[in-house]
Amino acid sequence: MLGELEQVVLLAVMRVGKDAYGVPIHDEIQRRAGRDLTLGTIYKTLSRLEEKGFVASHVGEPTTQRGGRRTRCYVVSAAGKRSLQSTFKALRHMASGLDVGLEPT
Amino acid sequence: MIRFCIWLLERALRPDLASHVIGDLIEQQERGSLWMLRETISALWHLHARPHPRGDLVLSVLADLRVAARLLRRSPAFTLVSVLTLGLAIGATTVIFSVIEPVLLEPLPYPGAERLVMVWERNAAGTRDNVGFATFRDLATQSRTIERAAAMGEWQPTLSDHGEPERVRGDRVSWTYFRTLGVKPALGRDFLESEDRPGTNQVVILSHGLWERRFGGDSSIIGNAISIDGNPMTVAGVMPASFDNAPSPLAKIWRVLGYLNQPYACRTCHHLQMIARIRPGVSPEAAQNELSGIKSQLILAYPKEYAAAGVIVGKVQDEITMGARPALWALSGAVLLVLLIAVANVVSLQLARAIRRAQEFAVRGALGASRARMIRQLLTEGLLLATLGGLAGVLVAYLSLPLLVQRLPDSLPRLDAIHVDVGALGVVTTIVLLLAIVMGLAPARGRFANLSSSLGSGRRLSGTVSHSTRAALVVAEVALAMMLLVSAGLLGRSLVRLLGVDVGFDTSHLLTLEINSTGSRYASDSSVYDFHDRVREAVGALPGVSSVAVANQLPLGGNVDMYGVADIDNLPANLEQVPFADRYTVSANYLSTMRIPIIEGSGFTAAEATEGSNKVALVSEALAKRLWPNESALGKRIRMGGESRPARTVIGVTGNIRHSGLDAKTMMQWYVPERQFDADNQEVLIVRTAGDPATLAPAVRRTIAAIDPTQPIVKIATMEDVVAASTSQRRLALALFGTFAAAALLLAIAGIYGVLAGTVTERTREIGVRSALGATPRKLIGLIVGQGGRLAALGIALGLAGSFALTRYLRSLLFGVAPNDLVTLAGVCLLLAAVTLAACLVPAARAARVEPSTALRSE
Repeated sequence: MLGELEQVVLLAVMRVGKDAYGVPIHDEIQRRAGRDLTLGTIYKTLSRLEEKGFVASHVGEPTTQRGGRRTRCYVVSAAGKRSLQSTFKALRHMASGLDVGLEPT
Repeated sequence: MIRFCIWLLERALRPDLASHVIGDLIEQQERGSLWMLRETISALWHLHARPHPRGDLVLSVLADLRVAARLLRRSPAFTLVSVLTLGLAIGATTVIFSVIEPVLLEPLPYPGAERLVMVWERNAAGTRDNVGFATFRDLATQSRTIERAAAMGEWQPTLSDHGEPERVRGDRVSWTYFRTLGVKPALGRDFLESEDRPGTNQVVILSHGLWERRFGGDSSIIGNAISIDGNPMTVAGVMPASFDNAPSPLAKIWRVLGYLNQPYACRTCHHLQMIARIRPGVSPEAAQNELSGIKSQLILAYPKEYAAAGVIVGKVQDEITMGARPALWALSGAVLLVLLIAVANVVSLQLARAIRRAQEFAVRGALGASRARMIRQLLTEGLLLATLGGLAGVLVAYLSLPLLVQRLPDSLPRLDAIHVDVGALGVVTTIVLLLAIVMGLAPARGRFANLSSSLGSGRRLSGTVSHSTRAALVVAEVALAMMLLVSAGLLGRSLVRLLGVDVGFDTSHLLTLEINSTGSRYASDSSVYDFHDRVREAVGALPGVSSVAVANQLPLGGNVDMYGVADIDNLPANLEQVPFADRYTVSANYLSTMRIPIIEGSGFTAAEATEGSNKVALVSEALAKRLWPNESALGKRIRMGGESRPARTVIGVTGNIRHSGLDAKTMMQWYVPERQFDADNQEVLIVRTAGDPATLAPAVRRTIAAIDPTQPIVKIATMEDVVAASTSQRRLALALFGTFAAAALLLAIAGIYGVLAGTVTERTREIGVRSALGATPRKLIGLIVGQGGRLAALGIALGLAGSFALTRYLRSLLFGVAPNDLVTLAGVCLLLAAVTLAACLVPAARAARVEPSTALRSE
């Protein structure tokens, strides 16, 4: 089962789609979830997810806007999606019959 | 900032990770350096890999920081108390220093400010006196040490166009004023010499603030006339926004004096202040010597017009801050004591922790950590704690400085220049670094002294070195707290004494305000008197008003208006040696309205208080005693002011009143009916009411405005507020000292409690043994309280000695209380003894409850 940060970051990577690196991921989480995570937290979570095989990354092109530094872009792997599904399923089972607004629809 | 962040990240992170994070930071750098710092810290915290033990210094420092941060997070109570203690103390230090720096230390914001001096006439008492214009002119023109000089006197004009009538504070200055200071108007031009003459002096210069506020920053008014006291005066210029009028902080508008070539410029009137720029390389002392010589020549030429030889020359900055300086220095002393106590307390807390962590470090040592490495870890912990405390202090400073500045007197120069400045921050940083060293090393000394014993003794820690250090710290804390408490106590008793003095009149049920009568319709004296009569009649008709009086000034209102009083039938050879007394030109019912008693003779009747009748006067008891020590004052003929003034017959002696302050030393006053003296265009209206005077203020204001809406009504206040305001500086000093003393007391209590609680914990086993061997709870309590009591007694004794040594610097702030006042000293001793005893009782009670069995099992 995924941790809360891991869920949020995974979903954000999926939402951003192409070119999902630190800044867009951060902005997406801030926009949707209203949480101002630091880049450090995000990269730390991403590297944990990568170790578990839930995301894959590739290095992008260096740009002058970034002072000649490359981006590292992430995509969610099939295992990552499965893990999200099973997390949500587990949550729904746990919540079933409880009035917490997570009833199976 | 970004460079520093990149430098850190490149060293601390894996190169690929660093490159991505740095790329992100550079891409987003418009989010600001605060964001950058936060991201960098977070990235270091989350992403940085554990360093190799012998790796890069930066990396191992980072590792130390992480360990330190984790440790602080794990004991939140310790961290919170330490950071708060340090934060408050550092904050308070920064605040006081931020005030002292611009007010007392920083040079005034004028070119060559160190050459600006004030020149005073030395009077018979050897103190400073203002100069008359003729004296100013002679000193300025004959001196070779003075490059340029200016004269200034108070001026309170009424601005009557461009909005509601408003009275503002200004100065009348010689044309050289701004040139002497070395500043130029930002708009328009400076005064001209040709304007500084009677008749041509209808020219003003505005401060930037007044120009913006009242004239909307409209540059078209320059060269045009505005209405001042009902007369058109030309606006010559506007001073720059940056101009800080330090010699006279309240003045917002300047008018040229117009005394040049004036035939009647006087020597005996002391209504001007003289400011001078001395030539480069000349010391104020040299200027004083030269000017004293010139004054001696003047005395030869005009033997009757000077009271004493000599002048006093002092740097402008020293002269204008003379009143505030003792209080500010006393406060800085007090705040340093608080800082010392706070440091002692935090070090003591660190020591307590060190005792608890002795085993950890013993193990580390045994596993091969070098002493230097362990000291560095401790230093890092101290540095982190001190940094947090420093940051909290900066926060405290930023929050509390505006509150303090608000309560400082308006007349203090350079108020606008007070801010939490770089200098103060530098001091804070230095303090923080020193704290880091002290805090880092104090535990280390204790620790290594008993490294092996800690390791050997397991949980039973001796820590004797740490203990004696902590005990010494507690003694110091109590002593310092004692000194602060004594200071606060002395100031408090002074204030009580001060508020208890008899002011000489009945302050209750009085509403006071200032009314004005300026402009062409009040050109004649009788029109002014008639206006006063109409106002008194209309206000007197209001329900709830029992009587209404008019006077030229208000007791305790901060006015200075004194005249020399001479006995005409017994004139001294030098008229300057007659006593100076407060002038009260009043309506006939003033004394009865104020309830000032008539001790001898009688007050004014309405018939006497007219222009035509015989000139009469009342004198206060103190003035009567001074002039006629052995005779009755009744029937004496006196003259106030110069030889052109008429003789007046003393018809009564009044009670003394406190005029210049509740702490006024001289209480000489004279009273004459206003119709028998020159009219003033600013008067005080005094309304005695049946009920709460404050509720009548709106009705009184409406009534006066209905008589003449063009005249501003200012300073509406109850007499009780006026009395309170006259003590506001003392209250402020007391509030600050009181706060510092309370903080010091709390810290000292916490210190004693901490030491004893630690003792009880460490001696649990011993206490258990004693208890098993038959020691009663009473004996055990005695054991612990005795230990605390010895520390407290030693602290109190040292504090007493310190108080004797230091409180004499408070002398100028005290009233009716000696610096070594026994009541205060004894009271503070008792208070400290009681409070420290209470702090001992909690740990002592715990000791008494120790079960022998658990204590013995604790090994």
